[in-house]
Amino acid sequence: MTDRDHRETLTDALDGTCTDGGTPTPFETVSQVTETREDKFRNVYDTYVRAPLSIVWGDWRARIGFAIILCYLLMGTVGTVVIEPTAPAEGPALAQPFETMDYPLGTTDMGRDLFSQVVHSTQEMLKMITAGALFSVTLGTVVGAVAGYKGGWVDTVLSAITDVFINIPGFPLVMVLVAIFEMGENPYMIGILLSVASWSGLARAIRSQVLTLRHESFVESARTMGLPTHVIVSKEIVPPLLPYIVINLTNAARRVIFEAAALYYLGILPFEDLNWGVTLQLAYEAEAHARPQALHWFLVPMAAITGISIGLILLGQSLDRVFNPRVRARHEKTTADDDTLEATTH
Amino acid sequence: MTTTQSHRVQTHEPILELNDVSVTFSMDRGDSRVVDEVTLDIERNEVLGIVGESGSGKSMLASALLDAVVEPGTVSGEITFNPQDEPSVSVLALSKGDRQRFRWEQIAMVFQGAMSSFNPVRTIRTHFVETLSAHDEDIETGMERAAGILEDLYLDPERVLDSYPHELSGGMKQRALIALSLVLEPEVLVMDEPTAALDLLMQRSIIGLLEEIKTQYDLTIVFITHDLPLVADIADRVAVLYAFEIAELGPTEEILSEPAHPYTRLLLKSTPNLQAPIESMQPVDGAAPDPVNVPDGCSFHPRCPLADETCRASDPDPAAVSARHTADCHHYEAAPGAIPIEPPEMDEIQRTPSHHDAADEPLLSLDELEVHFETEQKGLGLFSDPETVNAVDGVSLDIYENDVVVLVGESGCGKTTLGKAAIGLQEPTGGAVQYRGQDIYGDGSDVDATDRFTADEIRRALQIVHQDPGSSLNPHHRISAILEAPLKQWYDDLDGNDRQSRILGLLEHVGMTPADDYIDRYPHQLSGGEQQRVALIRAMLLNPELILADEPISALDVSLRVEMMDLLIQLQETFNTSYLFVSHDLSNARYIAEKTGGRIGVVYLGELVEIGPPEQIIHDPQHPYTRALRWATPQLTYRDDRAQTPPIRTIDIPDPTDPPSGCRYHTRCPQARAVCAESVPETKPGSDAVGHDVACYRVQDDHDYWEDDPIDDADLD
Amino acid sequence: MVFNNWRIRRVGQAVFTVWAVLTLSFALVRLMPGNPMGAMLVQLEQSGMNPARARELVEARLSVRPDEPIPIAYVNYLTSTVQGDLGQSIASGEPVANEIAQALPWTLFVMSWSLCITFILGVVVGALMAYWEGGRLDVGLTSWAILMGSIPFYVLAFLLLIFLSYRFGWFPAGGKYVAGTEPGFNLPFISGVVYHAILPVISMLVASGVASLGMRGNSIRVLGSDYLRVARLRGLSDLTISSQYVARNAILPMYTTLLISIGEMFGGSVVLEQVFQYKGLGYYLYRAVNIRDYPRMMGGFMVITIAVVIALFIADMTYSMIDPRAGGSSNESY
Repeated sequence: MTDRDHRETLTDALDGTCTDGGTPTPFETVSQVTETREDKFRNVYDTYVRAPLSIVWGDWRARIGFAIILCYLLMGTVGTVVIEPTAPAEGPALAQPFETMDYPLGTTDMGRDLFSQVVHSTQEMLKMITAGALFSVTLGTVVGAVAGYKGGWVDTVLSAITDVFINIPGFPLVMVLVAIFEMGENPYMIGILLSVASWSGLARAIRSQVLTLRHESFVESARTMGLPTHVIVSKEIVPPLLPYIVINLTNAARRVIFEAAALYYLGILPFEDLNWGVTLQLAYEAEAHARPQALHWFLVPMAAITGISIGLILLGQSLDRVFNPRVRARHEKTTADDDTLEATTH
Repeated sequence: MTTTQSHRVQTHEPILELNDVSVTFSMDRGDSRVVDEVTLDIERNEVLGIVGESGSGKSMLASALLDAVVEPGTVSGEITFNPQDEPSVSVLALSKGDRQRFRWEQIAMVFQGAMSSFNPVRTIRTHFVETLSAHDEDIETGMERAAGILEDLYLDPERVLDSYPHELSGGMKQRALIALSLVLEPEVLVMDEPTAALDLLMQRSIIGLLEEIKTQYDLTIVFITHDLPLVADIADRVAVLYAFEIAELGPTEEILSEPAHPYTRLLLKSTPNLQAPIESMQPVDGAAPDPVNVPDGCSFHPRCPLADETCRASDPDPAAVSARHTADCHHYEAAPGAIPIEPPEMDEIQRTPSHHDAADEPLLSLDELEVHFETEQKGLGLFSDPETVNAVDGVSLDIYENDVVVLVGESGCGKTTLGKAAIGLQEPTGGAVQYRGQDIYGDGSDVDATDRFTADEIRRALQIVHQDPGSSLNPHHRISAILEAPLKQWYDDLDGNDRQSRILGLLEHVGMTPADDYIDRYPHQLSGGEQQRVALIRAMLLNPELILADEPISALDVSLRVEMMDLLIQLQETFNTSYLFVSHDLSNARYIAEKTGGRIGVVYLGELVEIGPPEQIIHDPQHPYTRALRWATPQLTYRDDRAQTPPIRTIDIPDPTDPPSGCRYHTRCPQARAVCAESVPETKPGSDAVGHDVACYRVQDDHDYWEDDPIDDADLD
Repeated sequence: MVFNNWRIRRVGQAVFTVWAVLTLSFALVRLMPGNPMGAMLVQLEQSGMNPARARELVEARLSVRPDEPIPIAYVNYLTSTVQGDLGQSIASGEPVANEIAQALPWTLFVMSWSLCITFILGVVVGALMAYWEGGRLDVGLTSWAILMGSIPFYVLAFLLLIFLSYRFGWFPAGGKYVAGTEPGFNLPFISGVVYHAILPVISMLVASGVASLGMRGNSIRVLGSDYLRVARLRGLSDLTISSQYVARNAILPMYTTLLISIGEMFGGSVVLEQVFQYKGLGYYLYRAVNIRDYPRMMGGFMVITIAVVIALFIADMTYSMIDPRAGGSSNESY
């Protein structure tokens, strides 16, 4: 029997033909399974929709965080349509919050509606957040994963670059860049610019985790099975990192908000439209912090910034549970309900 | 009392008396009793071995002796301590201050994890000093004593004391921990799996040292382990723990030769060792009970072949088998007849050892394989001064179709690296690996295009099963996804239903039924044995020619090991694959090799020093290192050679970054002579047996070795 | 061996970073389109200066000569910067290095206090939470920590400013010391300095929220460790156990948090000092950017970066002294 024949008969064996006459191959013992399209759909729905929602719903932090973020999303989308934009002198100067229902959060000294300002700022802020958070997390994950998985000179170069950016304080760098490049008003660009240095911390963390994961037996098994690199990275390496990535996504988003608002407040970013940082700056210039009757002008944008930040932090902390297989197993219908089993294996 | 024990002053006077001692944890699901009314006398100056599987309550019993059960566990019952010249003490009634003095001054404890028993940020010396000062001892005399104990344990006191824990090897740390437990001169030393994380040689050496230490420091030792053969080497009496109770208690020799409890008998049968015929080794069916769910009556009855109504109804009291031997069994008299330990009549067909002629083409051929690692690879690499570890050095080995080769050696000797290089997972720095004549790390240009295998074919032919099943399955995927991945990759023609039926079939084949239930689970919802089965199936799905089995059973409980090895062997026959087995345990190596007619290869510091059929390696080892391993392997018989000096000159393995010259074993070899330090012995036939090769001058009768002088303190024989 | 290698490599990394920042600054000033040089020229010409004079001034202030070939200019720039020449301010004409030397100590003063107190607060609160894990105090403090982590430091700064200085008048709303006191080692001056620094320091303490959560996790881990159990069995005193075992091992990983805080705090000093009108390096940089005084801007940026590099370097080195396991193969200390 030549080698080639040998391989083929073995493949035959795998297909169910018994070759050596003696022991039957286990492939003959085949259970009949028929899975319909409907079953498949139900499985997908259960895994990707029902289970995550059920997990999120089971945790009060997640519920609050979810609700807060949903509010901001609504403000940024539906809100801009429903709520009218503000104009100077549309109302009385410095109306107090909750004084009249026309201006629920009060007005500025120019008589502009603060609630409307907050709502109409949201969209631009959300754009910045999305762009910045996605940029820094994607770049950090990719750089870290590549450096960790590839190793060798790729790792040396990427790590050196990462180390430099870790050492540069991000905010002053952004200030200098904004000043030199005279940034425009594109919120996506601003978001990305704000994240120009902040990806480095995540890159380093991801790199060290990938270095550990590479040596995990299950990654080695995947390599031994001949799975292509992109499958190994996407199916074996990334899932264990997801909780970490999600937390970093929300942290990056919070950082973008903080820094964007600070840059607008300092007057370093030019502006046309209003946003929370600009409101803050206008209030500061009008000495609102020193005038009790104008205090709300100051507090409203600060509350808007803090609120979305709390929402993000709560959501980030609870979302990692969605990726925990132990938690998932409890929430998926298709898996046996085995709380007892889990309790004993612990 | 038996003659072998008569050399010792044996008074039978109890130093510790346990009366109805229980340890209870209150949990949401009800009380969980992890030690259940144990009554036991521990005699002065004895070594009492407590044997039990994981989860049998043995560690809790150990902690209870010092009243040191962790919160929220509570100890009840009575423990009386009878010191040498002082009045008795009731341990559980001690005041806080008295208890603090009692622990360590009277009873000290050595934990399993020596690695984690030291504060990582303080030196070893600090640990000694703070212990002495906490007990108001004179530091200077105490430290002199400590240095003495360390020396007795073959450690260099100055070096060890000034080290941080992470700077010491596992064996050194374990010995330092023993020294720390003895620094206040306690009367009793409780050891909870003190050697579990160590290599055979180190384990055996520490056991030997304990013998000496015991006499020298007038100790009583309670030795807790899951490893029955190990305890047989040291204990005077053995207590077998099952489901939180003592099942059997008696002198070691009687427990080993005439056990009365069915559990002990089954446990003995299921333990691989070097003497017993392998046909007699059989797994124990079933699993040990959960603490909240202990069966009524005799807790062993669900697994016991002798169980009847009485066993289900009433919990047996200890029955006296002989003067000092009790068994908690209703049928202890019938047990020896019903469960014979002697092998049954041999009607099974012993597999004939596979003979491979020189003419056979090997499946896989390693030629002068060499893997060198450079440590210190990170950072900018500008100023680093890398050190090289020669993990594998000049190993040649042929593996044939349906062949089994078991590699044994101490951890860090390079056996796993060798295996990984052989299946294409670790690029060698020298030499070659050929799969059916084709270099697996090359581009295939070394063979004719017609005979050439593609990279994919080679990849599929060489598979791996890892040591820890928990980490070889991605915790984020279900079993179905884990097993589908290789099928999706390699069998395009299968649709989802085909894949699933194939997976279900295989799961059923390895005894995981109902299979539908298993495929939707995540790995954490399976037991260790089930996880390992899934990993095994995954490798088999690719229909490989060779599987590297990297210690696939060492993470499993003792009673499950034989079962898993049998499954491995059965799958090998079914699938016509070859195995390259890696093990640190000679008993397991022997089981696999003898049952499959394979060979055992002994690896030392990256070199293959001896290889041959199990009969030769176990019963007629030629290389001094193989003999040392043989000596270090615990046996299930009461040994007369307990006090024998170890056949090695130093306990600690040399630094692999700076391996010794010549024969690498010469620094530890008791038969080393001048030439051994100078040149590397070539591999020569070790006996008439086919395939028995040894790399040692001692197999060459006409070599100059025999004229040379022994080096240092080596024997001349 | 390994240890020393690691130290040498760490020095190399710090030097490399400084070099990279200098090069970046040079590239921004010289190579980018719409670069500061051009911008300055336009600025000066618009203010009515004749082009030749403006050009001269730009050369003098930025310490660059536009007609020099780039490589030579680069080398000159590096040498002059290393010698401490950061050019001259456009606004004042003073050497930037001198101005920064005046401002830097104030920022360092506030930052080091913020860092110390953040660290201590994080450790103490985290230890308390861990000790009463699951209790009411734990839940309360955890919520507090999350809230602290959600607030940007400048929001806290504004709140403090509005209430404690404007509303109640307990603290000054700006400045660094009491006007009229003689700078030096005398009580009125020093107490004034401390008094003015209190609000800025408190504002920076928001970072202690994250720190305390980290400390809580570490402590819980150490409390469950084997070596702690062995230490108790050995009869060590509670004091030894809590200080040498729990605290020491739980605090070590906190260095990570500390190191991240250094960069963020220095970056944040720009906003903080603007809010409190506290004229340190951050305020200096803010003013420079606002009036587009490029020599000041680049100088301030460089000095802040170098301060962070040095701070991280010192922290890494001291860490390796406290933790015997540091350095070597795992230099993932932050």
